[in-house]
Amino acid sequence: MSETPQKEEAPKKDMKDVLAAVENIKCMVQKSQKFVEEFLSEPMCGKCHPCALGSYEALVRLKRISAGIGKQEDVAAIQRIADDMLESSRCIKGKDTAKFLLNALKTEAFREHLEGHCEERECPAYVIYRVIPEKCVICGLCQDACKYNAIMGQKTVSYRSGYLPFEIRQKRCVKCGDCLPACPYGAIEVIEIKTGVLV
Amino acid sequence: MVNLKIDGKEVTVAEGTNLIDAAEAVGVHIPNLCYMKGMKGIGACRLCLVEVEGSKAPVIACNTKVKEGMSILTATDKVVEIRKFVTDLIVSMHPLDCMTCTKAGTCNLQRYAYDFEIKESSFSRKKFGYPTDESNPFIKRDPEYCVLCSRCIRICKAQDTNVLEFAGRGVGAKVVTGNERPLQESGCTFCGSCIDVCPVNALLEADRWRRGREWEYGKTGSVCLSCGSGCSISVSTKDGSVIKINAGAPDGSVERTICAVGRFGFDSLNGEMRIAHPMKRVGGELQETTWDDALKTVAGHLKTAGSDAAIVSSAAILNEDSALLKKLAETIKTKNVDSTVSLYSSYDAMKSGGADIEHADLFLLAGIEPDQWKRVLPAIDAAVRKRVNNGAKLVVIHSGDPKIAAKASVFLKGDEVKMLMEIGQALIAKGAKAPKEMVEALAPVNPSDSAMTAADAFMAAKMPVILSAPSLYKAAANLSLIKGEAVAVPLEANAKGVVAMGLTSDGRKFNEIISSSTKALYAVGEIPVTKRPDTGFLVVQASHMTELATQADVVLPSTPALESEGTMIDWLGRVKKVNRACEPAGDAKPNSNIFMAVAEAVGASLKPVKDADVKKAAKTKAKVAFSAFKRDAAHDVDAEKFMNETNKMTVNGSRLLWLKELECAAVTA
Repeated sequence: MSETPQKEEAPKKDMKDVLAAVENIKCMVQKSQKFVEEFLSEPMCGKCHPCALGSYEALVRLKRISAGIGKQEDVAAIQRIADDMLESSRCIKGKDTAKFLLNALKTEAFREHLEGHCEERECPAYVIYRVIPEKCVICGLCQDACKYNAIMGQKTVSYRSGYLPFEIRQKRCVKCGDCLPACPYGAIEVIEIKTGVLV
Repeated sequence: MVNLKIDGKEVTVAEGTNLIDAAEAVGVHIPNLCYMKGMKGIGACRLCLVEVEGSKAPVIACNTKVKEGMSILTATDKVVEIRKFVTDLIVSMHPLDCMTCTKAGTCNLQRYAYDFEIKESSFSRKKFGYPTDESNPFIKRDPEYCVLCSRCIRICKAQDTNVLEFAGRGVGAKVVTGNERPLQESGCTFCGSCIDVCPVNALLEADRWRRGREWEYGKTGSVCLSCGSGCSISVSTKDGSVIKINAGAPDGSVERTICAVGRFGFDSLNGEMRIAHPMKRVGGELQETTWDDALKTVAGHLKTAGSDAAIVSSAAILNEDSALLKKLAETIKTKNVDSTVSLYSSYDAMKSGGADIEHADLFLLAGIEPDQWKRVLPAIDAAVRKRVNNGAKLVVIHSGDPKIAAKASVFLKGDEVKMLMEIGQALIAKGAKAPKEMVEALAPVNPSDSAMTAADAFMAAKMPVILSAPSLYKAAANLSLIKGEAVAVPLEANAKGVVAMGLTSDGRKFNEIISSSTKALYAVGEIPVTKRPDTGFLVVQASHMTELATQADVVLPSTPALESEGTMIDWLGRVKKVNRACEPAGDAKPNSNIFMAVAEAVGASLKPVKDADVKKAAKTKAKVAFSAFKRDAAHDVDAEKFMNETNKMTVNGSRLLWLKELECAAVTA
């Protein structure tokens, strides 16, 4: 924010790179979060307050929404930040970020997310993986497929007594989906936490 | 002049004025956190956005110049919403402890939060846990409160002290010193300019906690008499004691800088070396006595000594004091009365005129070495650097290696008189008109290439200002016959006033008085004399127990500038009012009162000096005429040493001692 121009290296990333980084994300909440994260990481120059402080606050709010704890007031805050940033930030970079957020807000995505629904299935925090005990044959294939050791259980061995039913430890589960094709019996299901809807 | 409308009010301002200043002229305040008057607007805070009728997007008022016929609206819904938004964001990262915050009442953020009804931020609270730098007794830095306006960084850079800088961007940005070292290890001069500009509680005088807030203070505009800069100050007092001192020059002027001595030296008012009562030597020891007794003794000795008595004074006394002291000398019929001025200047040089340093576009420093780090005329150094950073040119002529030379477009190293002659000749060679005698005198001179470059800059300048050491004034002033103004820069605040009021010697000069034998010697103020001169009777009139005072026969307690009332004439020849900020300590009396009392004890009566006399005296300026290019070698003096000696009591009696010890330790290490 200093007045005298400093001899700083040209920013490695510019707005094009930010756009490129979010190109393949479909969920507007995820996309917006990534966009602001990328914007803050380099192209944001920090020379004016609305953009420097505003985009940071927007990121805080976006993270809440994508973590599934967002509320209507978070969306309202992002709306206000984007509106004011567009009007008051000093350069085109801040204004572009504001425009991006405003366009994202026009979609249904934010409303849906508040209701607990991520249409694009890209918000991991919105869903939970579960083993259906009735369908599980305790074969252990899912356990082998899980890279994160998130599936707990002990499979049955012939002529030995005792086993532990298979369960997914939510703290470890990163919702990568690798276990789904591994189960030959379709015993693992994905449910939206808030709505309880089967995905 | 440009005519425009601000919120419907017609206003006419000078061309080049920005919208914030223009609005101020009609009493409209445009909110801002990062704008500093007199400096370029950077548009960081965006609070100053205003709408211009007929244009779509709002513009920042701090960096938009007025245009003829413009009509601006400062408080439309759109810009007010943006201001609320930004204030809201800043409040979200600012402690909400206004009830115990020292800056309450003057905090700009508090003001705007109040105006925009932001009780608590609607955004998520951010806390950083930055440590506070409280490792020095001058400036407390608390980054938790910082609003990232960068005012401190910019003022520090404008003065070339370059201590503060940003680290990081956006929310995580922080004002830091190099390598995050404490201020005292970062080349900080502790001038405190950053305190003056901080809009919040991030930078503050170190001892302000629980010592009252702005609305509790009485404010007195006065002048610091510690050195030749004679800076305007604004003194804040509470319950009769001085709490803090700020720069007092108008907002936005280049002279709005004071140094550590001016800002923090007031501790010495109540230091242990302060003299509270008159003292008299009885049986080899100084003992407390009454004013009557002290005055009677002094008067008796002065009267007996008559023309063999001598009076010497510091030039940090007021105009009124000077005139009365001269009259007192006449009363006791001695011609031997002089001030410290004659140690570093001829009387004539002190009659030099003024200059407009605010608009000067070239400074020529001849033989002076203003230096903020050595605390030699620090405010003049800062003013010149501010102007140079703003585009003015600088030519430095010096035989040594002054720090400011690094800032010069041309640095002419070598004998100052020779260099001045070379520039003079270069100017004539380039076709400048000069008096005939000067052309003749300079004919044999062959200017060097750098002198030619300096002359080019001088010719190109619209308003060159020559600042010279008093000993070089006559030579330097010759250049002002071609163009510009020349000013002799004294080492003491009221040197020009003392001379203007006639406190000059018709008999022996200062040095002769000190080195010769006298029957009685009356020494006023803190003079650079530490050993008792050969005299039958020594009176020292001072505010502090100087080394000389400990050897005196009678000590009269006087008041320092902050406790005195009167006028002074600063280095640019302007009369400035010195106002009493607090009551005298103990039995101390103002110099003038003591002089009148002594005169009365001698049997004469002196009339107080009238303001009109001061005004008249200040107006008489010597006209510049050509004189030979010569150095007044008798008046060459080591400025740093001189200032150290005359400010010893202020420095040793205040927290500046901490800084001095640190500097000494650094030198020995």
